[in-house]
Amino acid sequence: MKLVLGLLIGMAFGAILQLGGGSSYKKILGSLLLKDLDIIKLILMAIAVGTVGIYALDLVDMANMNIKPTYVVGIIIAGLIFGVGFAVAGYCPGTCIVAASEGKTDAFVTILGGLTGALLYALVYPMLGGLIGLTNYGEVTLPSAFGVTGLWIAIPFSAILFLLMFKVLKDRY
Amino acid sequence: MQDEPVLSWKVAGLLLGVLLIVATALVKPLGVSTQYVVTDAMVLHGAAPQMAESNEYLSKYGEQEDWGIGYGWMLVLGMFVGGSLSAFVTKRFRKRDNPSMSSMWQSEFGSSSPRRMMHAFTGGVLLLFGARLAGGCTSGHMISGISQLTIGSFVFGISIFASGILTARILYKRRLAS
Repeated sequence: MKLVLGLLIGMAFGAILQLGGGSSYKKILGSLLLKDLDIIKLILMAIAVGTVGIYALDLVDMANMNIKPTYVVGIIIAGLIFGVGFAVAGYCPGTCIVAASEGKTDAFVTILGGLTGALLYALVYPMLGGLIGLTNYGEVTLPSAFGVTGLWIAIPFSAILFLLMFKVLKDRY
Repeated sequence: MQDEPVLSWKVAGLLLGVLLIVATALVKPLGVSTQYVVTDAMVLHGAAPQMAESNEYLSKYGEQEDWGIGYGWMLVLGMFVGGSLSAFVTKRFRKRDNPSMSSMWQSEFGSSSPRRMMHAFTGGVLLLFGARLAGGCTSGHMISGISQLTIGSFVFGISIFASGILTARILYKRRLAS
């Protein structure tokens, strides 16, 4: 049952990314070059909707959250590495799957690179314990840090994102 | 235009947000990058079981419920199926002039397929090394994580865009100058 659910949610995820241009090299590089901000705005919209929905679910105890630990230094370094890969490949780990499914052969190669990068990480993992332990604040969220109900932060945060999407971020051609 | 999306960012973003809420209610938030290690671990457990078991990170996955072909792995398979279905339906399957590269990449770096494949491969290595070090990628860490207001996910989101924007500017400096 869970397997079928995974397949269905994945199919919807893949279709949305494909239809929204998330699997397009041109759209991703357009966003990173700050020329065509559609992909950035797509992500902001998903977060603006998602955050209110998730914390509304949380209110009735129906959100199966999965909070990742905040190890600041390790995450910054990881993000810097990821960002270079993001711009060089023109895909991310999910969108290269979708791009490959559209018959884009370079995206298949990005998947192979990804499998190699993940394996490389597994091999050096025993040496990285210190980096992950450094500045590790654990599973901390804004609501837990301030000790408030999630929606009190999610709603104004979502409002700020809508302001960003519709008033601040403009395409520059 | 081969690369013009069918849906606007507003509609696609809204649908993605709703899907994230549904997934969080039914199972857990969306995520992809873990499945690269799961796939590695699956292959290695078949090909070189001793090596897989002796590795601290790869052997970890054998102990978890989601190990192997579980919910998360099916989700990634579903992405492939859903993406190709919608590409077929909207007549965007293999619509590039050159299937191995975007016309944008070609205009900057030329039409060499091996060169594009080098970029695509190297990019993939960096993406998954970074994603595994952070504990998630664009979907799991950034979209799902920031939606849960996880502090580390804000850090990750800022870090990937700072680095991605800088790298893109270096890669496309000629285009930007003209």
